[in-house]
Amino acid sequence: MSIIDAIKSKAVRSPWLYRINAGSCNGCDVELATTALIPRYDVERLGCKYCGSPKHADIVLITGPVTSMVKDKVLRVYEEIPDPKVTVAVGVCPISGGVFRGSYSVPIMLDDIIPVDVNVPGCPPRPQAILEGVAMALDIWKTRI
Amino acid sequence: MVLSIFKVLWNNLKQGPSTDPFPFGETFTPARLRGKVTVDPESCVGCGVCATVCAGNAIKHVEREDGSGKDFYVWHNTCTFCGLCQHYCPTDAIRLTNNWSTAHRNEDKYKMKEHEFIAYARCSECSQPMPHMPHAMLDHIYGTPTEELENIYSLCPECRRQKAAQQFGAQIHD
Repeated sequence: MSIIDAIKSKAVRSPWLYRINAGSCNGCDVELATTALIPRYDVERLGCKYCGSPKHADIVLITGPVTSMVKDKVLRVYEEIPDPKVTVAVGVCPISGGVFRGSYSVPIMLDDIIPVDVNVPGCPPRPQAILEGVAMALDIWKTRI
Repeated sequence: MVLSIFKVLWNNLKQGPSTDPFPFGETFTPARLRGKVTVDPESCVGCGVCATVCAGNAIKHVEREDGSGKDFYVWHNTCTFCGLCQHYCPTDAIRLTNNWSTAHRNEDKYKMKEHEFIAYARCSECSQPMPHMPHAMLDHIYGTPTEELENIYSLCPECRRQKAAQQFGAQIHD
């Protein structure tokens, strides 16, 4: 076991982030870009980096109130992310529907279709809150390897 | 032109990195940042204007069946930090703190709420439950309190009307 544990501790290095916009208003996406691109917040200190392909991702950040038009597409992209993966819901919309709850085009919440691990509520959340959520997701990801 | 870049470089060397140390250290929080909502059950009158203006329907008032008061719920996972409740609250009972730390595990999703019990006052004549009015609010409505006013503060609207009618009737007879 100790060898496996040693390998596990070596394997935990840099989880890559992937962003899914599930009908978001773009507010949370701007905050996600802020967390990554502005030197003040700099999510790359945690070893995280945004990647363009779901096949390279470890932590998936989902924004927006999974609308009925985008639901199947979200599921299709989510299936392409290899295990182990950690899901983070960013903003109030994927968590509860937010201000769109009860709308004809928002019939479900995100955790009805996808197992969500961390929630970061806010409209939009502060970059520090997103960093806190990503740090939480990192801890979960380490236990899954 | 060429020298200005050296000035920038020198300033950057002097200041050090501008990266915020969070999550490894402390971060800055502006004092007026709009974050998690708190409710003060002492000064709340239960008027429900916060639930009416709430953009995301995050605030709920539920009457207790025994008439002892109402339950006040604020769901942080629906709150958009817009601050309308704070703006419209007549007694400043509901406030937005600058606590931005909202990230949580999905297991705790339904624990992310603020729950307060708003107790009703009892009428001193007929012991009917009625909304509890803080003294500061009554002073704001009626002006400087006199002894006569102090007597009707503890009455329900029905008893207050009757008492006012009796006083008026007594005046006519005189």
